[in-house]
Amino acid sequence: MDTTLLQQMLLGALLGISVYLPLRCGQLSLATPGFYAIGGTVAALLSTQIPALGGDGVSYPISSVLLEMAVAALVTGILALGIGKVVLRLRGIYLAISTIALVEILRVVSLNLSFTGGAIGIFGIPQPFASPEGYVGFTSLLLAVVCWLCDRLERTRPGLAMAAIREDELAAASQGVNTANTKLLAFVLSALVAGVTGVIAAHFLNSWNARMGNFDASITTLAFVVFGGTRTWLGPVVGGLVLTALPELLRPVGDLRLIVYGLVILLGPVLFPQGVITPERLTLWSRRLRQRLRLEAPTP
Amino acid sequence: MSTPLLAVHNLNRQFGGLMAVNDVSLRVQQGEILGLLGPNGAGKTTLFNLISGVTPVSAGRIEWRGVPITGMASHAVAGLGIARTFQNLRLFPTLSCLDNVMVGLHRHARQQRFAALFQTRPFHRKQAKLHQEALTLLELFGIADAAHRPAHALSYGDRRRLEMARALANRPELLLLDEPAAGMNPHEKDQLCELIRQIQAQFQLTVLIIEHHVPLMMQLCDRLVVLNFGKTIAEGSPEQIAKNPAVIEAYLGGAG
Repeated sequence: MDTTLLQQMLLGALLGISVYLPLRCGQLSLATPGFYAIGGTVAALLSTQIPALGGDGVSYPISSVLLEMAVAALVTGILALGIGKVVLRLRGIYLAISTIALVEILRVVSLNLSFTGGAIGIFGIPQPFASPEGYVGFTSLLLAVVCWLCDRLERTRPGLAMAAIREDELAAASQGVNTANTKLLAFVLSALVAGVTGVIAAHFLNSWNARMGNFDASITTLAFVVFGGTRTWLGPVVGGLVLTALPELLRPVGDLRLIVYGLVILLGPVLFPQGVITPERLTLWSRRLRQRLRLEAPTP
Repeated sequence: MSTPLLAVHNLNRQFGGLMAVNDVSLRVQQGEILGLLGPNGAGKTTLFNLISGVTPVSAGRIEWRGVPITGMASHAVAGLGIARTFQNLRLFPTLSCLDNVMVGLHRHARQQRFAALFQTRPFHRKQAKLHQEALTLLELFGIADAAHRPAHALSYGDRRRLEMARALANRPELLLLDEPAAGMNPHEKDQLCELIRQIQAQFQLTVLIIEHHVPLMMQLCDRLVVLNFGKTIAEGSPEQIAKNPAVIEAYLGGAG
């Protein structure tokens, strides 16, 4: 497979997780592309404006990328904390609308500021890796760490509290769950994942501009989660990987590809209302797999 | 008289022009089973919502062990040890029964972040203990077999029992039960009555219960409070309430 496509799929999976985290508490936030754009802008500015980060000048050091990630996480985290406190008072579609507004405000601001390069954006972002393989390795590692953290979250108290809020917020509060703080936690974690993903994307794409985080991206990343499922982190990962790859894999069918892509997005929720990946289906699959392995094992 | 566990003073709640709860005062003594009776729309559930912080109070005071808790958020009220069930059942439908009860254990399930992240041995030990506690509660209500099934797959009666198990997971001192016998047949109602007595003794609970089934309330409660149109119209032992003319009028209508 084309490594460039593979890299895009990995970024898609990370953005899927970012949309999934608030949805785990039933909060439809479309702010992911906004935080992704901020992460990318932080990386683009730091790596092009601060010569000290460039190292020996041959290739851009990975330690600098990690530093950019830390700064991006800090910026998006603080912003999400402030914004989340206000917008998470809104419910359902109103939260979605206000987060779309956030994405649009950030886009227009970035379009009109001089230090973000205006409409042209920032060019010549230095490359820490000589080939796409390097990016794929680095992003896979990041995805693995994020998945591991999500898995830990889901198996512990805050993860269960998030699921409870999704099912019935009032009942969750009556069980002693601090619903405001739990939702805020999910929103901030979502922003952190998006911000850090933006850093890698900026280096990988070599340039960054205001169009990186727009309303289209909100809908595309939401489709990852709707297709994959909102009940476990594996859902958005699968959704992000598959739906990013699909338009490219469908190139052979020519103009039909957008129709097929649209059909997949449409039929996914119709056939699998809870998403393709649900905890119940995972249990079933793992049981079948174990049975098959037992059957194939040589009898002594 | 000693400080009551829960005291409500001149509580009011208005919805537009409607006085849903109108100047209600009551005291719940530690260890008693206090019943709330009253026709539909008398304000019983609203009173529960005010106590548990679900609905804001319009006027009046609520005290827990003599300390004012009026206006406290509902998660903080749960943190005091006040657990409740809901008239129309509010379970977490797609979560397993075990997880439903585990959410009830929320305030006792805090773990160190580091331990939770790296799944240390103490983390597993505590988690196993909590699971065991949740399972024991499910067993107590006879639904342990369904522990791993989603809550929505249970029968109506079992869902009511699951909600009580979830409330008990809070390890409450005061349990608010909102029509726990609704939709149960007479045999199940008798069993429920027995069960409420049993858990009250076992967990040293104080119970405030709303129920329409008058014979069950007469049998179960130490004291009864009767509401009508948001006001307290009678208060006393079940025998006194049965003879009270105001109660008879509220239920059967006036003589002319």
